[in-house]
Amino acid sequence: MASEDTAPSHSHHRDSIKSSVGNTAANRRRQQAISIGKERREALIRAKRLCRDSIFDDGDNEKGLDEGEMVIDEEQSVLNARTAQTVQELKSSLSYQGKDATQKTIEALCALRKLLSKSEVPPIEAAIQGGAVPLLVQCLSFGSADEQLLEAAWCVTNIAAGGPEETKSLLSALPLLIAHLGERSSGHVAEQCAWALGNVSGEDMELRSILFAQGALLPLTRLMLSNRESTARTAAWALSNLIKGPDPKAANELIRIEAITDTIVKHLKTADEELVTEVAWVVVYLSALSDKAISILVRSDVVPVLVNRLVGSESLQLLIPVLRSLGNLVAADAYITHSVLIVGNDITDQVLYGLIKCLKSEHRVLKKEALWVLSNIAAGTLEHKTLIFSSEAVPLLIDLLSAAPFEIRKEAAYTLGNICVGPTKGSDNKSDIIVTHLVPLVKGGCLPGFVNLVRSADLESARVGLIFLELVMRGYPNGEGPKLVEMEDGIDAMERFQFHENQEMRNVANALVDKYFGADYGV
Amino acid sequence: MDSMDSSVASPDLGLELGFPFWVASRRRFKPDDPFFASGNLERELLAKHVALDLTEDERFQLQRMEIADANLFCPIAGCGARLEYLEEFEDHYNTRHMASCSVCFRVYPTSRLLSIHISEVHDSFFQAKVARGFPMYECLVEGCGAKLKSYKSRQRHLIDKHRFPSSFEFYKKAHPSKHQRQKLQRKAYKGGDAKDQESFMDLDAKKESKQTRPKHYRPKQEVKSGTERESEMEVETKLHHPQTTETKVVTNSEAKNEKAKAETEMEVEERIEDIVSGISKLSTVDASSPSSVSFGHRHSRGFAFVPRSVRNQNQISKREQTRKP
Repeated sequence: MASEDTAPSHSHHRDSIKSSVGNTAANRRRQQAISIGKERREALIRAKRLCRDSIFDDGDNEKGLDEGEMVIDEEQSVLNARTAQTVQELKSSLSYQGKDATQKTIEALCALRKLLSKSEVPPIEAAIQGGAVPLLVQCLSFGSADEQLLEAAWCVTNIAAGGPEETKSLLSALPLLIAHLGERSSGHVAEQCAWALGNVSGEDMELRSILFAQGALLPLTRLMLSNRESTARTAAWALSNLIKGPDPKAANELIRIEAITDTIVKHLKTADEELVTEVAWVVVYLSALSDKAISILVRSDVVPVLVNRLVGSESLQLLIPVLRSLGNLVAADAYITHSVLIVGNDITDQVLYGLIKCLKSEHRVLKKEALWVLSNIAAGTLEHKTLIFSSEAVPLLIDLLSAAPFEIRKEAAYTLGNICVGPTKGSDNKSDIIVTHLVPLVKGGCLPGFVNLVRSADLESARVGLIFLELVMRGYPNGEGPKLVEMEDGIDAMERFQFHENQEMRNVANALVDKYFGADYGV
Repeated sequence: MDSMDSSVASPDLGLELGFPFWVASRRRFKPDDPFFASGNLERELLAKHVALDLTEDERFQLQRMEIADANLFCPIAGCGARLEYLEEFEDHYNTRHMASCSVCFRVYPTSRLLSIHISEVHDSFFQAKVARGFPMYECLVEGCGAKLKSYKSRQRHLIDKHRFPSSFEFYKKAHPSKHQRQKLQRKAYKGGDAKDQESFMDLDAKKESKQTRPKHYRPKQEVKSGTERESEMEVETKLHHPQTTETKVVTNSEAKNEKAKAETEMEVEERIEDIVSGISKLSTVDASSPSSVSFGHRHSRGFAFVPRSVRNQNQISKREQTRKP
């Protein structure tokens, strides 16, 4: 992209606002990217994907336009005017009765499509206001030429990549898009419609609900079986958007489709990492929303395949949904820790290896979510706790507890605490403390990290810290706990809570200070 | 998050509602839980990466924006300051909530509480008004405005009206360093005349070890007159049973009478003779202009200064004749 700068004598400083000769699109894009405005940021984090290039991956070039050239470089107002004009042309070609009608329509559609895909900021608003939507719906009617359907669906795709109002303006197009997913449709048309539907479902629950009611689930699932990888990928992505909830009904319906689990397993094993990624996201939402799906998935081959991917892949994009799927499954159902990830089984060692790999990664997301999974495994049987305790995870955990960003420290804290607390309870109805784990962890220097958590402004972290300190003070042998806590300024940290706004925190902290640092302390 | 919700009734910790002991249990999150937000963001960025050509800076910016959106406020009662990032809290706390008394080194999270402390503990004028029956003890909750006549009744007000825990003590003892404690223990063995140290308000003083427990300490079971029990500040909770030797028991009953004379509404704690003599060499502090109020200092567990003027209730009522209000 840097090569698009036309000034030879200037070096490419990204933070240089004053560009050289002319405002080439690349420069402008850089400038835009540097100060990320709210609008742009929202566009970035939306679960939508703008379709800039043809889905034909065989290098078919459009007439008169080199696909490599990215951007139409114009002022927004000029762009809007052109868009309005193009919509008018489309309108007139649709009402044209002559023999070239279809060709004219396709040309107009093509022009509109280019405006919507090659511009830096697609003139979506202008297109809608110009009255494009009903025209596009007309273009999508049954029996239209494939090329027409393709171009129209492409336009709809990019309009649906806009904001809420813009997306909702497409309601009348939805049933047609779903219809063109059918097996009689041309492969490209179906894929483009799937993309459009993916963008629509990425908007909000209301639209997802509508699409579900209109029957989008089944055809999308079928498309996911396509032999064309790009089609399968797009369909999987669209499906993940459709079922992501928070209403679980779509997820619950998906798992009931026959052979869906086999399909998922098959795709998770393919070489195409992008396909694996999108299908893994489907598993993420199935495992997050549908108890029925969880029950089926934990007993299927999905788990071992996910573990394989966790261990074998280095792609961040792939690891995130794989890790999270496993996380959701472990969190939801004890079956996994008790019957699948049995200590001693190979798969268990693999999982631990994979999680530790994530802990060592530089990516915050991987560290945080891997810790979450680990903490849940550590909430399993005594064997699990011992397995983790004796692995190379422990020094990593203590380090992360001390030095990592706060949200990661919290997860490390849960893991370490869970390692020290048994699954059984004593006669006093308190969980058994595993002293053989607690002592080495404290000696290994985990206390400062916990005391630090107590000082946090985040209520949950402070609570976790306090509750762990209680463990130490109660369970550390020879009554040495309080002294150890004091040496780390624990009393100070706890006394902060005297004027905390949360009553429970005040009570808990005060109770601890009263009990362990009362009048007879230090005697 | 359901990990810690199982509260176990724990009378030994003095919590009727139960203490949330650690329970190792799985935690599950819904897909739209903020926990997953950064992972979701990452997904979208990675998917659009090629088209957008984002740099590391821009990604970092986006992530920061994501985190900063969370509503985060300082949790110290009455503060409510907006915090942009969690890491900011420690700095904020150190600059805004570390009001420390330069006299006795006790630290308070707000300047208001510090000034209440100074009035109640280091100001003989305050004691004078109390002795004359003025309601001087302010409610600690900002905005309440209530004033009570005694420490104990203020205590009760906090518990009844503002749901403070019954173990809460504004005059909570500071915790001395190990060295200080050992010093105290040695001195305690030297003994001292209990009667001299009578009717004494403990002012965030050093923690006393068991051996130095005042000879006037009453075990909970003893029968006291209604007012006496009322007026006694129990720093210790029900947890501890004091050591009572024969001598102590004897002096207890004697002391009771003395105490009754003292008409004190504050706690009676023994002051170690050595410390007392040391203190008397120091000058009293006029709390209307505290020597200095320092902010931002770490709480140091130093020697507690107890002005003589504040020590003895009886003396105050005599003295007030000579002192202009």
